[in-house]
Amino acid sequence: MRIHAKMKMADLVQFNFEILAVIQRLQIPFGFKDKSIETVCRESSINVDFFLQLAQWFNERENFPQQQLIDHPPHWLVTYLHNTHQCYINYQIPRIEKEIEQLESMTEIPDQTAALMIRFFKEYIKEFSEHLDDEEQVTFPYVLDLEKAINGEMTSEQFRDKYSEYSIDKYLDHHSDLEEKIFDMQSILLKYMSPPSDNCHFTNLLLEFYRLGKDLKDHTILEENVLIPKVRQMEAELKKRPSFF
Amino acid sequence: MVKILIVEQSYLVRKGIIHILKQFPEIANIEILGSHLGVEEVLEHFMPDILIINTSLASLIADEKLKGLLSDSSRVIYVIGTALPYESPENQFSVFDSKISITRKLAPYIKGAGKIKEPEESEELTPREKLILKNVALGRTNKEIATLLHISTHTVISHRKNITRKLDIKSVSGLTVYAIINGLIKMDDIS
Repeated sequence: MRIHAKMKMADLVQFNFEILAVIQRLQIPFGFKDKSIETVCRESSINVDFFLQLAQWFNERENFPQQQLIDHPPHWLVTYLHNTHQCYINYQIPRIEKEIEQLESMTEIPDQTAALMIRFFKEYIKEFSEHLDDEEQVTFPYVLDLEKAINGEMTSEQFRDKYSEYSIDKYLDHHSDLEEKIFDMQSILLKYMSPPSDNCHFTNLLLEFYRLGKDLKDHTILEENVLIPKVRQMEAELKKRPSFF
Repeated sequence: MVKILIVEQSYLVRKGIIHILKQFPEIANIEILGSHLGVEEVLEHFMPDILIINTSLASLIADEKLKGLLSDSSRVIYVIGTALPYESPENQFSVFDSKISITRKLAPYIKGAGKIKEPEESEELTPREKLILKNVALGRTNKEIATLLHISTHTVISHRKNITRKLDIKSVSGLTVYAIINGLIKMDDIS
């Protein structure tokens, strides 16, 4: 199906429920009634092209609108990524944590194994939070200021003084792979744990991991293929300006 | 299973390549990029066995850089935007080639990559691999393990790759969990 601005927002969601993630991350409120995508976006002050590109990508994974997304103002994407973080921290991670803790009460799983999984996941949460904190406290503000410097809302001197030690390469130096451990957890649960009788709970836990892993992959694509190239472009542009040195 | 990264700017060509690749059951994962931007980051974490890249995009990335990011066993295939002469190199195909001709060119690469990754031996860990895994789980570095077992660091790395492939577990903490569940080490050993 062709997704376009005049179609009804509710029809779009019915057509592909995964697009709810985009709606949530752009903080578009529900209660669409019969409004078109265009109208809903306008009412929420979201650029309709930006929304459509993300929705189309969710609908056709093989066609990532890289260049179009790079061409938008970076703060749109930063807001999107920030809202994704909130969703992980406030909802997805605590929910999985709770489910893992329940493993302890499952009698067929040896106490030690349950304790081990809990420990592994707690370690992961710590790493996950540090990763997100670093982006929220350092990388995102840097990107937003860089955009301001490019637009002239901040002088090149101010920018240079504030970030004399930082560039996007610094961020990449300790940019850890968040999906890896999620896939490891999946393998361990699926292949190496003794089969539990409470299949429902166990299956649900695996599905949660699957969903988070998939979502993190999308998140990484947006960071690596849109945010970072965009920042590199802006860094190069700012350096070219005579006032920078 | 074989992992492939396609870097091609044309939507139609990308779709065509994906369509051809879907004929091969060996292929587990296809990632797609529409420009050279971000190629380095994707290569680093995705580690494809085969990179299919349009020559005009490949020319935007320094050769050494590309080589440095690909593992020794990965192969590069170039997509050419013009027609190719009859006996062109094996690692190139043209957008004007027929489906059969492109399939023929890709097949040896895909089968080759499939074989390297999945030898006919069992997926059980060998005693040697178990020993290496035990040491990894105990928190030892590749260098420490090499010294301890009187082997080269290179051998340790190669064992670790095999362990990860067989178990589907990449991270050290994941391997530690496996080692404890399977009694290779005890919970107390790691605290």
